[in-house]
Amino acid sequence: MSYIHVSDLSKTYIVRKKKSGSLLARERTEVKALRNMSFEAERGELIGYIGPNGAGKSTTIKILSGILTPDGGEVSVGGVCPWKDRKRHVGRIGVVFGQRTQLWWDVPVRDSYDLLREIYHVSRADYDAQLRRLTEVLDLEPLMNTPLRMLSLGQRMRAELAGSLLHRPELLFLDEPTIGLDAVSKLMIRDFLKRENRENGTTVMLTTHDMEDISALCSRVMVIGKGQKLYDGGLNELLSAYDTVHIMTVRYADPLVQPVLPEGCEAEADGETLKITYRPDRVPTPVLLTALQEAGTIRDLTAQPQNIDRLVADMYKEMGM
Amino acid sequence: MRALCAVFRMRFREELRYRGAVIGGVICQTFFGLILIAVYRALYDTRPQTLPLQDVVTYVWLQQAFFRMMLSFDGELTEKIRSGGIAYDLCRPLNTYAYYYTRGMAQKVMGSLLRSVPMLVIAVLLPDGWGLRAPVTVPALLCALVSLGCGLLCVCALDMISNGFTLLTLDGRGIQSLLNLLMMTFSGNILPLTLFPDSWQGVIRVLPYAQLLDAPIRIYTGSQPLSGVPAIWTLQLAWTAVLTLCGLLLWNANRKRLVLQGG
Repeated sequence: MSYIHVSDLSKTYIVRKKKSGSLLARERTEVKALRNMSFEAERGELIGYIGPNGAGKSTTIKILSGILTPDGGEVSVGGVCPWKDRKRHVGRIGVVFGQRTQLWWDVPVRDSYDLLREIYHVSRADYDAQLRRLTEVLDLEPLMNTPLRMLSLGQRMRAELAGSLLHRPELLFLDEPTIGLDAVSKLMIRDFLKRENRENGTTVMLTTHDMEDISALCSRVMVIGKGQKLYDGGLNELLSAYDTVHIMTVRYADPLVQPVLPEGCEAEADGETLKITYRPDRVPTPVLLTALQEAGTIRDLTAQPQNIDRLVADMYKEMGM
Repeated sequence: MRALCAVFRMRFREELRYRGAVIGGVICQTFFGLILIAVYRALYDTRPQTLPLQDVVTYVWLQQAFFRMMLSFDGELTEKIRSGGIAYDLCRPLNTYAYYYTRGMAQKVMGSLLRSVPMLVIAVLLPDGWGLRAPVTVPALLCALVSLGCGLLCVCALDMISNGFTLLTLDGRGIQSLLNLLMMTFSGNILPLTLFPDSWQGVIRVLPYAQLLDAPIRIYTGSQPLSGVPAIWTLQLAWTAVLTLCGLLLWNANRKRLVLQGG
């Protein structure tokens, strides 16, 4: 059996809404957060888990980390069922929730780590070595003696990340770890996760809305919408299916007169610059290039990659979310 | 167990950070103590009761000094449920009941230590008839301390029952204010239990609330002879066992139902 095995997982939340126009009457509606979700994962994989808000990402993570009990289905992580054998399960996983704090608010970061060491029964020597490594990689030295509440969000996230790796978990769940972070912090966290995965073989599963996270980190992507798995595979394969419109910008040596372009291209001319929007499945790129060269002397040509957020938005739309 | 000790130490130290709250608490509780004593002195002037006034005064001071041990408000659990921060607590390889029990206990021990030491000093320095009296005998003091420890276990178990309800209703303020009312009344904080009508005594003395502070104080003042102490300890521990069991059942049943909202 695979390292992570999930089959037919389902979870329903009951939401009580107030009936409009009535003071007390409430309506009970069921929200199916997960419907028959199934997947397998091997050790050492780095999986990106994406989907719009409310799709069921966090619910999956919460079930896999033993916090929530599902209504139906089977899960086994390394042979253990998370909610049936919670204590054993959580001892070997690490969890980071980007919007919450696990370290103690009022005390210096180092004291929180010391407490985590006791909670996870990590030996002194192991702990010292791991902490030294994490301090170096995540640049934590300046933060160690500062109370958590005085750290910036980026610093805090780094501290949180280290906190969930002190006991060397074999599996790490990250729920929106880069939310609200600046570019430098994001890059640092991405590099760190990549390294952690490569060097220590830590299996990582992360949810995010930042597609840069996914393209920088994950070889495998799962898309979930309305509680169902819609896609499971490589990121490039996923994107190329939706990457239907290309944009090319060409700068000519002289102002253009009236270029003749193949049927199906949209061109916007602005002095020497020409911006072309086309669909490569209708107009082959070589044909377009020939036409562009005939139109004048090209000084510069750039092909613009599609905005990845736009692609994902299109994808969600097409998948009916 | 080592992990729980570490949790205890951490919460202990956190409590040390709120020094302003300690000073406020000492002033507030001293003020309450003085008012209550003034009321009892006025009462005794016109209608003396069976219990000597000096014992009532001592009772009031000890109740006020350890007030923090009984006042149960762990706002952090409610806050954690609201913010979803409890998710992290559930991800720890610890029994969550034991974890919260330990936290609550550390909060109570540290909170009452910080407040009771200065308050007892003040109370001892007050003039006769207003101040705290020494324990009847040294063995009585030791027995009272053991009894205070048993009372602590008991009150923490009581708190965990209201925490169990917090998991269910997501906001414990309602049930907590109800339970606090019972606690303040039947623990003897408002009125020493001895001053309740005789017909009530048989019942209120056996309630768990009487085991927290009333029992140790009676041993301290000598109104409970030492020969009856083992029976008191047994009753305290019996309540602790029953309340812990109820709390565990409630906690485990509701923990499974707990839904972590948002994000």
